[in-house]
Amino acid sequence: MNEFETNEQPRTETYVLNMGPQHPSTHGVLRVELELDGERVIKVRPIMGYLHRGIEKLMESRTYFQCSPYTDRLDYISSMNNNYGYCKAVEELCGIEPPPRANYIRAICAELNRLSSHMVYIGSLANDVGAVTGMLYTFRDREDILDIFDLLCGARQTCNYIRIGGVAQDIPAGFDEKVRKFLDRVPDFLKEYSDLLESNEIFQIRLKDVSVMTAQEAMDCGMTGPNLRATGVPFDVRKVDGYGAYPDFDFDVPTGEHGDNWDRYEVRYKEMFESAKIIRQALDGMPEGDYMAKVPKMLRPPKGEVFSRTEGTRGELGFYIVSDGTNKPYRVHIRRPSFVSMQGLNPMCRGGLIGDAIAAFASIDPLMGEVDC
Amino acid sequence: MKNYIDASLLDVLKGKFPTIEYDTEAKEPAVYVPADVLLAFMAFVKTNDKFLFDRLENVTAVDYKTYFEMVYHLFAWNQSPIDAEIERKNEYENMWLTVKVKIDNHDAPAVPSVTSVFPSAEYEEREVYDLMGITFTGHPDLRRILLADDFTGHPLRKDYKEIAPPYTPRVRREGGKIIYE
Amino acid sequence: METGIVMTVANLIRGILMLILGNEFIVSVIMKLIGIGAMIGVISFAAILFTYTERKVCAFIQVRLGPNRVGPRGLLQPIADMLKLMSKEDIIPYGVDRVVWALAPMVLFVPSALAYAFFPFDDGAIFADVNVGIFLLIAISSQSVLTFLMAGVASNSKYGMIGAMRAVATSLSYEAPMVFSLLGIVMITGSLRMSDIVAAQQNTVWFIVLQPIAFLIYLTTCFAETNRTPFDFVECESEIVAGAFTEYSGMRWALFFLAEYANLLSISVLTTTFFLGGWSGPILPGFVWFWLKTIFMLMIFLWIRWTFPRVRIDQMMSFGWKVLLPLALVNVLFTGVGIYINRFM
Repeated sequence: MNEFETNEQPRTETYVLNMGPQHPSTHGVLRVELELDGERVIKVRPIMGYLHRGIEKLMESRTYFQCSPYTDRLDYISSMNNNYGYCKAVEELCGIEPPPRANYIRAICAELNRLSSHMVYIGSLANDVGAVTGMLYTFRDREDILDIFDLLCGARQTCNYIRIGGVAQDIPAGFDEKVRKFLDRVPDFLKEYSDLLESNEIFQIRLKDVSVMTAQEAMDCGMTGPNLRATGVPFDVRKVDGYGAYPDFDFDVPTGEHGDNWDRYEVRYKEMFESAKIIRQALDGMPEGDYMAKVPKMLRPPKGEVFSRTEGTRGELGFYIVSDGTNKPYRVHIRRPSFVSMQGLNPMCRGGLIGDAIAAFASIDPLMGEVDC
Repeated sequence: MKNYIDASLLDVLKGKFPTIEYDTEAKEPAVYVPADVLLAFMAFVKTNDKFLFDRLENVTAVDYKTYFEMVYHLFAWNQSPIDAEIERKNEYENMWLTVKVKIDNHDAPAVPSVTSVFPSAEYEEREVYDLMGITFTGHPDLRRILLADDFTGHPLRKDYKEIAPPYTPRVRREGGKIIYE
Repeated sequence: METGIVMTVANLIRGILMLILGNEFIVSVIMKLIGIGAMIGVISFAAILFTYTERKVCAFIQVRLGPNRVGPRGLLQPIADMLKLMSKEDIIPYGVDRVVWALAPMVLFVPSALAYAFFPFDDGAIFADVNVGIFLLIAISSQSVLTFLMAGVASNSKYGMIGAMRAVATSLSYEAPMVFSLLGIVMITGSLRMSDIVAAQQNTVWFIVLQPIAFLIYLTTCFAETNRTPFDFVECESEIVAGAFTEYSGMRWALFFLAEYANLLSISVLTTTFFLGGWSGPILPGFVWFWLKTIFMLMIFLWIRWTFPRVRIDQMMSFGWKVLLPLALVNVLFTGVGIYINRFM
């Protein structure tokens, strides 16, 4: 009898591929344990915490003003939105009402940052499906927004411009023209992105009908923001809560139909037009007046707690602050949208291929600074 | 702007769950739910068509030195896809509800996991377990999420003491001699 | 018999050598050695030049400047890269199959270089004008998949393993349509000899006119063959880091890199030869025409490489088997019918 002849049937088994923490497309330092059967994904287990800095703990030993720069470091490519979320929470806690001019400036900043964050999203999604050139184009145009921030507050990424009670300083001379000039360019470069990416057959087949989420699944995974809207649920905190100056503006909430990667991309793409619309309205209707409310130098909020949410670029950004009457928060909890959205990774990738997993991962747009907090 | 659940609905809850407590004077009272009826309470407010709190916005815990408090922020949205099925659209306003669970046992805090009612709480409960050390019974996958698996302690507790890094002697070279300090 | 510039030069050298040495056998051996030297020179020079070209073209497409620090307009960048790669530490990862692992980058270069023996650079300037030219060429160039398999399996890495398996899958599904797309040309020419193919195009029209479908199929399969986007599965950076080359560094990695550029050049040369009439063209000498067409093809390859996303592996496989292969077979059928009709006209 031949030594290789056995009665055993050939058997296959799954294997585990550790993707990350050093991997070209994990957007930072995420580790994903992929259980694979050949190329097919059976299970995805995201392992986080490589960027954990303990911001919630750090905030407990800082005054309310000192906490604000930490929020820049959460989601470091949309720091304005984080500042906004934090300042809004503290204002609700103390009962400070920011002046209307501050609200308008805040809306402009938040929407500009949303534009820049969605550009990074489109670029990194393109990069992850193999179109390296897409990333360079979006980063070229993002530079304009960063220049505007530079003009506004001297910082490009970690702005710390929105402060408790208003904004750090009034808008400088030349800001209005600069933003308007940028807004005129928005349709042009968005057209360019769609020419480069959307009209490409390969880009479409890579994203369409891949990683489909129903509305119920998305809600069960705690998804918010564009990821939820892609499934057809028009949940936008800017509309639902109508905070700040947003009730004054006329804008639509784009939604998707199928909840696949393509819809997640399309929703963000359309949102960029809406953001541009909001900025233009805010510039036109900019009220005169103070840019900062009267805020005491030593802020001691009354004893109590608040949960306040804003529409961050990645979904619903919530701040839960407990005050014990001193000048430092007793407890701060940050509801980070991309952290909660990571629950969707497993249902989205299951049954797909490695390439799909990468595309799905890019399409939910997590940012590790925010996930790990 | 922020519309809290009104007192009449709170009375309905009190009637259904007599053990819950809330401050009747406060404008936005947090509802203290005992741990043993938490799951029934959550399931009730999620599915009952008077409430329909289908969004669990936030899950966290606070350490009050002698006891812990689990905090759940629930939100009922009047255009939720679930509403469309029950045809209650636009009849009620958006509303908020804060649910709290007081955990008196500070040494070994435990609370039932709400993941069976709100699956979206999975990671947030893991985060609370990791950083606050509260055990969730019935959680599908209760492991540390942010810190390393072999980490000891729970940093967000108020009595957390930072562990000093292991002592490593400083080494200095001076004229061919190696000096340990 | 017409002769191009390259052949004239070769004949001149041969004449001089005959005057000096006087022995026919020794002179032909020396001539062969000169030919091999020239060929290796072309490969290495082209590979070095193409790294620069690709970076510049890619930078142009990506609204960047590209290398511009080393030398005038960054021309010396490839040399700086080479020095850097050569001076790097040779890291051998733990648990690799050392012999196979070390052999893979060297072996990879062999089929890439061997293919150059069959390229008609100019009229008569072909190193081995054998009568089974195309057949040998395809046989040799498909060997390169073996080295990917060697590199991937031997490197004891899951990324490498996936990359190797993908290389085999790509090769299996794209070799067949490639061969069938070339079959039409062979049918028209009636010969597998490379010089005959060019001559046939010189006498009639370029085969891109007679065989447009075959041209498109061949172009598509070329991307799979050279492992470039949209079919760069062997080293798709965003998915499996660098695939089969994940564990290689320094000079070993550079060899893979060089082989990739050598393959790119050989694919451009082959497209030129098969479909664009090779060295044939008016006024200018054949050698110049040959390089002009090759560079044109090369630019098309670069253009597609830097603007297309990557398809998924299953999409690539189904495209190869369900679209390209039937299309290539239909093309063969129509070519046959066309030849049959042409016989009676």
